[in-house]
Amino acid sequence: MADVDTDTLQRWLRVFAASVAEHKDELTALDAAIGDADHGANMDRGMQAVVDGLAATPADPAALFKQTGMTLVKSVGGASGPLYGTLFLRMAPATGGAASLDPETFAKALRAGLEGVVARGKAEVGEKTMVDALTPALDALDAALGSGQSLADALRAASAAADEGRDGTTPIVARKGRASYLGERSAGHQDPGATSAALLVAAAATAVAEQGAA
Amino acid sequence: MTVGIVVVSHSRALADAAVALAGEMLHGGGGPLEVAAGLDGGGFGTDAVAISEAVAAADAGDGVVVLMDLGSAVLSAELALEMVDDDVRGRVVLCPAPLVEGLIVAVVSAAGGAPATEVAQEASDALLAKSGHLGAAPDEAAPEQVVTDTEETGTFTVGMPHGLHARPAAQLVGALRGLDADVRLRNVSLDGPEVSGASLSRVATLGALQGHEIAVRAAGTDAAEAVRRLLALAADDFGESALPVAVPSPVPVGHPIPASPGIGIGPVRATGTVSVTVPEPVPGDQHGRLDDARSSVRDHLRAVRDRAAREIGAAEAAIFDAQVLLLDDPEVLADVGTRLDAGTDAARAWADALDDVAGGLAGAADEYLRARAADVRDVRDQVLRALGGVAAAQGAGEGILVADELTPAEAAVLDPASTPAVVLAGSSPTAHAAILLRARGVPAVVGVGAALAGRAREAAVLAVDGSAGEVVVDPDPATLADFRARAEALGRHREEASRLVHEPAVTRDGTTVLVGVNVGSPADATAGVGADLAGLVRTEFGFLDRREAPSVDEQEAAYRAIGKAMDGRRITLRTLDVGGDKPLDYLPMPVEANPFLGVRGIRLALARPQLLADQLQAIVRVAHDHPVDVMFPMVAGVDELAAARRALDEAVETVGRGRPADLRVGIMVEVPAAALKAAAFAPDVDFFSIGTNDLTQYTLAAERGNDAVAALADALDPGVLALIKATADGAGDHVLVAVCGELAGDEQAAALLVGLGVRELSVAPGSVATVKQAVRDVDLAKARELAAAALACPDAAAVRALLR
Repeated sequence: MADVDTDTLQRWLRVFAASVAEHKDELTALDAAIGDADHGANMDRGMQAVVDGLAATPADPAALFKQTGMTLVKSVGGASGPLYGTLFLRMAPATGGAASLDPETFAKALRAGLEGVVARGKAEVGEKTMVDALTPALDALDAALGSGQSLADALRAASAAADEGRDGTTPIVARKGRASYLGERSAGHQDPGATSAALLVAAAATAVAEQGAA
Repeated sequence: MTVGIVVVSHSRALADAAVALAGEMLHGGGGPLEVAAGLDGGGFGTDAVAISEAVAAADAGDGVVVLMDLGSAVLSAELALEMVDDDVRGRVVLCPAPLVEGLIVAVVSAAGGAPATEVAQEASDALLAKSGHLGAAPDEAAPEQVVTDTEETGTFTVGMPHGLHARPAAQLVGALRGLDADVRLRNVSLDGPEVSGASLSRVATLGALQGHEIAVRAAGTDAAEAVRRLLALAADDFGESALPVAVPSPVPVGHPIPASPGIGIGPVRATGTVSVTVPEPVPGDQHGRLDDARSSVRDHLRAVRDRAAREIGAAEAAIFDAQVLLLDDPEVLADVGTRLDAGTDAARAWADALDDVAGGLAGAADEYLRARAADVRDVRDQVLRALGGVAAAQGAGEGILVADELTPAEAAVLDPASTPAVVLAGSSPTAHAAILLRARGVPAVVGVGAALAGRAREAAVLAVDGSAGEVVVDPDPATLADFRARAEALGRHREEASRLVHEPAVTRDGTTVLVGVNVGSPADATAGVGADLAGLVRTEFGFLDRREAPSVDEQEAAYRAIGKAMDGRRITLRTLDVGGDKPLDYLPMPVEANPFLGVRGIRLALARPQLLADQLQAIVRVAHDHPVDVMFPMVAGVDELAAARRALDEAVETVGRGRPADLRVGIMVEVPAAALKAAAFAPDVDFFSIGTNDLTQYTLAAERGNDAVAALADALDPGVLALIKATADGAGDHVLVAVCGELAGDEQAAALLVGLGVRELSVAPGSVATVKQAVRDVDLAKARELAAAALACPDAAAVRALLR
């Protein structure tokens, strides 16, 4: 099983950026229902900035994650800036400076990123946030890798779990972010943060599958 | 201890406005304050990197308090903490206070020297006053019952006219800091609850107004010291009386100094305040009548303020701002409102309320506060006049005014027709009042000393020579004849000057000196009869009192109007010269500890390139069919000039008609460094224009607006003259050196300036004729000798003696 190299990680970011661009209006519409209608535009602006910065190829995954995190922090603007920024910034040291990441290290880095998001947003599972997509996804990833599946397959399982987690946010009454101001009225709407987070996991599955196919 | 403050918001405009609001609490003081708000490209958002930079910038080693609006602002601030250096992080407190209320309390608390944790706590308590007012006071834990064996008590009465407001409250809290004492305060007059003296915002909830009695109770080992300090502070009005001027104005023992030229002969003015009569009650809505009267007085004061700002300077204009504040003072209005509600008519209610305020001030121990009583009476009388009152015994206000000091407000309303001259025991030629007297054409001699002033008060007749600095008490017939002869000679001199006003000003030996007019509005240009050019057009007039910046078209029209009034003569347009002391609505600026040393003049223009680009475009358009100089203010370095010239080149390109043939470029020389580096600027300018007012302030480190140091800020100081000489030396043969400060309008200084190398004098409209006439008396060789002698003088007084 090939390790995840910087080319694949860059592809992941490109696929995610393209996916966010494709779903920009949908993300914004979701956010319009329960937030301030900027999630799609903010994430799109942030990921475009990330992709624009890829031209200067970083030396290793840690540098790539750090650059991505800083770019998101600087260019997203809304709460997803510090949250996604933290995710990537926390992933950087978890790579241990390796030139490419074996599946376990990649999973460990993602887990470190998620922990950063949880600490930053003080959100737990079940509060209608991106954590609701990321937590089951990483649990599924760890389980699949533990049972000896390839990273590509494990990420596919993770992506399915993320989608399920995302769908599960719909009936929840929000308790974090601006959606929480709506109280009961936030129920019945899918969470935009969980939606973009599911896109992030799906993008990882796509990028790694392409590496395997190449 | 100077805790820094960082404001984090999604919106730059919101943050700037909150900072401006908080800045009003500080009157220009305060510690470092940084804003991290909005995204780089504009738009709403927060940026953790920008916040971390702001935190680092605000940290002077004593810690930083971060105030945030909501949502991502909080997350980004937390993330930013991870980005700053470890040692800085340990000093940063993220404060959960509501942004606006919290910021206002935080800046005051930080300015009072509180440590970061306390500033944050104070800010967090900032909602107490509001929630208490709205009847939703949070459950304040009952004050802990302190052990009484070490308890100390005391009471004080609030003496400050504005009560125990934020600034004195900060003094109070600061005085208790570091003491081992639990101090509780209670407003006895309101029978209010006990609050902690350690908390600024809780002290604010005392609602302590002037005259209220406050009970102090302290426990702990330092209890006695705590009570002693509080009572001492209260006796000193919490330092409020010492704020503006602590130093008594120096009153020299009888060295009369000429302060405003001209001869005055006449009876001594009856002393005592001339009050306006309180008009008879008029039926109708008394609240409405009073509002109308206040509104018309407010309009008038603002007009006077703007005029003073244009003609004399921002510092001199500030006094009228203070009068407007008094007019709208909520406590005064509350008092008046109570009287109106009790059935008193508008005029009587206003007169009585203002008399109370003035009475309180007049009894104050501090000289400065006593002087403020005159301001209060002035405002009282203006409103009464608007309500139909008339000045009692108009005639009593005529004659030569003899006083210890004169407030700017008093000086500004003196009329040369009824006041032939002014004689002051104290003051200086550079004080506010003297500047205003010169502007109004009232002859004055200052610094005559208490003895001469005392004899002058008793006199039947005084003869005053404001040019020579002479005061004669009860002159004998021969002296009287001498003064009359001087007055006639002066009259003839002025007539002669007026007759020749359209002739050029050429020295006896044939050197032409341009005499220009300083223009603050198109009307001034019309008034500048005989001027060779408009040597200084203060373009600020087009920018003040507006909600948004003037468009290129509007500016073009305004400059064209001045060009038209000058009838083809050259106009020197100075680009916008404002700073943080007087921010414009559409140009929010961060609070600066010292705006006169901050972002103003060219610095502001380069920081707001669009503003400069628009103005230069308008200037270039006019320059295509009118001789125009463009002049950049407050230049300190050649790179600033280079950047400004690039902006000008871009404006030429944008206008698209090539470079106007008769467009000249110059700089104001106001910063001493610029004067000393004149040779470095010379290759890139057509002229230097020395702003002696600011150059003097910066050279002597003395603000003209502060009468306690105004005497230092004398443009005739040999240090200032040396800088004028340095400018002329650096200018070489091809760069014209002009003076456009107040010194240019001093007839007696004309020879000195020409001798130093100045070849253009730009003056107030009323001085064009006399300055031209003064130039005609100059002999260049003698002027150079005079300049050399002046440069060798030890001080301004010696220079003044040379000129007499």
